[in-house]
Amino acid sequence: MALEPGTQLTPVEVTASLQTSVAYAAASGDLNPLHFDQEFAGNVSPTGGIIAHGMYSMGLASRALTEAAGGPEQVESVEVRFTKPWPLGETASFGGEVTEVADGVAKVRLQGQLTDGTVVLRGTGMIRI
Amino acid sequence: MALNTELVGKTYEPYTYEVAREKIREYASALGETDPRYVSDGDDCVAPPTFAACFTIIKGGAPLFADPELGAHWNLVHGSQRYEFGRSVRPGDVLTCTPRLADVQARGRNEFMTVEVDCRFADGERAVLSTATIVLLGSAPAEED
Repeated sequence: MALEPGTQLTPVEVTASLQTSVAYAAASGDLNPLHFDQEFAGNVSPTGGIIAHGMYSMGLASRALTEAAGGPEQVESVEVRFTKPWPLGETASFGGEVTEVADGVAKVRLQGQLTDGTVVLRGTGMIRI
Repeated sequence: MALNTELVGKTYEPYTYEVAREKIREYASALGETDPRYVSDGDDCVAPPTFAACFTIIKGGAPLFADPELGAHWNLVHGSQRYEFGRSVRPGDVLTCTPRLADVQARGRNEFMTVEVDCRFADGERAVLSTATIVLLGSAPAEED
């Protein structure tokens, strides 16, 4: 993929579910019950329900970035802010746009958005081109 | 209870993390990754960038939460996360990871705790520098008029 200002990443779209959440909990070692236990989440979650790991959303945004970059060796940095919770059952799309290219490095604005428009993640990736 | 800001700058005991091929596969699979190198049996196997989550988030924060002098608690949300990468991580790498309390800021009734984890290969080169901002809810002292 030629990366120049305005280039859009191929988005990664996922519906969060108990299965995706348990798989990410086990894979990452983050076993906070907020991400799989409704009784626990009912007491502490900002939505009253189970929400996906912030790091799961970052992983998906980083996947879109890394695919555009051509592999993990090309990724210099990724940073994100978790702006809103991502409730299970909701579909989110993670993508971004190249905003700048200078000295062999492309700066990519990253975003994760639910189908109702809620932005769950914003960030920046730097990739070598 | 508010965090002890006198500990800002404190470095915690390093821990090691040994990278396993099957763990890379499990992580890549959880994200639906399609790059065949993430699941390769060969020398080309490499970890996706945010595989760093496996050795920086829970493990990196653990010594801070265990520090009775700091006063961290579990009513929290993960506010933001940054990774600066060195060379890529591969099966068999043994990383030495050093957590550091980089910053504490109160905003309203919440406290923003910045945790850095510097992860290096056996040869001393950097694998990744992780910077996490953890928002501890409701524990900042009430502001004085």
